[in-house]
Amino acid sequence: MSQMNTLLEVSGVSVSFDGFRAINNLSFQIGPSELRAVIGPNGAGKTTFMDIVTGKTRPDEGRVLWGEKSISLLALNEAQIAQAGVGRKFQKPTVFEEQSVRENLMMARRAPRSWWAVLTFRASAQDRTRVEELAQEVGLQEHLDRVAGELSHGQKQWLEIGMLLAQEPRLLLVDEPAAGMTPQEREHTTDLLVEAAKTRAVVVVEHDMEFVRRLNCKVTVLHEGSVLAEGGLDHVTANPDVIDVYLGR
Amino acid sequence: MRKSFVAQNPSVLVFLICLSLFTVVVTVLAEGFGVGALSTSFIKTLGKTLCLCLVAIAMDLIWGYCGILSLGHFAFFGLGGYMVGMWLMYARTEIIVEGALAQGDIPPTPQEIIDGIGNQIFGVVGSSDFPVVWTFADSLMSQLLLVLVVPGLLALVFGWLAFRSRVTGVYLSILTQAMTLALALYLFQNDSGLRGNNGLSGLQNLPGVTAPQSAVSLWFFWASALALGAGYILSAWVVSGKFGSVIRGIRDNEARVRFLGYPVESFKLMLFTLTAMIAAVAGALYYPQAGIINPAEIAPIASIYLAVWVAIGGRGRLYGAVLGAAFVSLVSTWFTGGQAPDINLGFYTVQWVDWWQVILGLSFVLVTLFAPKGIGGLFDLLKREDKA
Ligand SMILES: Nc1ncnc2c1ncn2[C@@H]1O[C@H](COP(=O)(O)OP(=O)(O)OP(=O)(O)O)[C@@H](O)[C@H]1O
Ligand SMILES: [Mg+2]
Repeated sequence: MSQMNTLLEVSGVSVSFDGFRAINNLSFQIGPSELRAVIGPNGAGKTTFMDIVTGKTRPDEGRVLWGEKSISLLALNEAQIAQAGVGRKFQKPTVFEEQSVRENLMMARRAPRSWWAVLTFRASAQDRTRVEELAQEVGLQEHLDRVAGELSHGQKQWLEIGMLLAQEPRLLLVDEPAAGMTPQEREHTTDLLVEAAKTRAVVVVEHDMEFVRRLNCKVTVLHEGSVLAEGGLDHVTANPDVIDVYLGR
Repeated sequence: MRKSFVAQNPSVLVFLICLSLFTVVVTVLAEGFGVGALSTSFIKTLGKTLCLCLVAIAMDLIWGYCGILSLGHFAFFGLGGYMVGMWLMYARTEIIVEGALAQGDIPPTPQEIIDGIGNQIFGVVGSSDFPVVWTFADSLMSQLLLVLVVPGLLALVFGWLAFRSRVTGVYLSILTQAMTLALALYLFQNDSGLRGNNGLSGLQNLPGVTAPQSAVSLWFFWASALALGAGYILSAWVVSGKFGSVIRGIRDNEARVRFLGYPVESFKLMLFTLTAMIAAVAGALYYPQAGIINPAEIAPIASIYLAVWVAIGGRGRLYGAVLGAAFVSLVSTWFTGGQAPDINLGFYTVQWVDWWQVILGLSFVLVTLFAPKGIGGLFDLLKREDKA
């Protein structure tokens, strides 16, 4: 075998909440360094899809396989999945509001996660420089010692993206990163995601078509819990089904 | 650049200085070696208060920093007391029994001595055999080790079961109350092996020590101050740095910490066990000063009081826990010890022994509603004025 071409493979996954099928026989694949946009109307199951991959929600059926060895993510808990290399940014920015930007980034930074390793952790010069670089990348270098709760909504989004990068995951799941951002901030976000996708897989959920166009990548359209169409943005937007359920409204 | 631990945590240095000054002043004023302005029983009250401050720090670590409202930490405190009490009682009774038997013509056999001790200790519960739990009671080293091991193991097993099933919030608090209640009820039984509701007594008498209580009370006062200082440093170290970040993260958003890859359950379990052991050390120093321990000490309400002290002092800061425990327990001793004069209103006499509980309950409610930062919050005001 030569190179691995699938990092994450989701197949035949379904999940119901109180009889309502939020995800219906969903299949999805992504390669090790690929950028993918996932779009779909409200309630299409985009966030639920991320919940399944990150271990927050257990599917009723189906498989979720990961990495070269095709291990099943369904057998791992949230922390183990994160350690395996899946990082996630939530739809609503969730940073640790009572801690400084620096502490948030340091906590996210890739390092052994056991309690003993954390208790005896001493930040090396390299750790500190990396945290400062990350802050620079997401435009928060001026705010390193501010408490995250004081940041604006957009800045919290940035901080969370910074934390995601600090984790150095192999797969980034990013739920609506541009919500509440100014046009310039959106542009910067696009650049960051495109850059990140050069060395890892990135899945971006976004409602904003302009944003998706700028990502310039393959698009998966979700509807009622399964894939409606997949391909280039122009290709999917020309699909009559897609126009019907999503764009036409 | 990297700053030293003390530079990053100036409150540690301030606290240690205050604690040392306090210890010196009390020693100078004490009956034992000093001018005698403070009675021996008051020295014991102060020593016990230091132990309560230490268990309050443990409570603050688990609740204030990690958000786990354990209402069972006084059970660990009591267990620590029992472990050390067993040795104190055994060793002292041994001396008495040996002395009594030596009066006879033939020297006693070891078995006679053991039986004598058993009779003395367990006579009150109608028995004379040593229960299994007393296996190591003749060895001070073993019992000191058990001060850490028994509460630590209980916390480990209990925590493992609770955290593994992701029991959180109110449910966890209720579960910890159930644990301490079950333990108290068990110890109340005569066949629990720990003398039922009689508990262990005479703990203020150190076996083989002829020094007067005025000196012994100071030794324990010093030991308590030392333990509090060490506990403060240990706790400050634990909550500083990345470990502190992670546990505060768990308090504020447990799920998010999991998605960062931290095994939240093992962090909680480690902290729960560590704080149980700190509580146990505090208890092991407290009960020799109190002189007696019985199962009523670990009634569920005791652990609730512990939470009240920390809330009033200000949770999420170590000195807040210390201030809360010292302030509330000293005021409480004053009110319930009959020192506070009753107020005669003509139609009704306010008796503080009863009304103190009401005041305490009321101040807890008021603090929770209007000053969630507690007494410690006052320091924030001072700091802000400094800057302004
Ligand atoms: N825990 C849950 N319990 C019950 N229903 C749920 C749960 N999580 C999601 N759902 C339902 O599943 C459906 C899919 O929700 P999901 O959040 O995945 O949509 P989405 O595509 O992310 O939508 P949006 O664009 O609004 O974020 C919705 O109808 C939602 O109400
Ligand atoms: Mg969503």
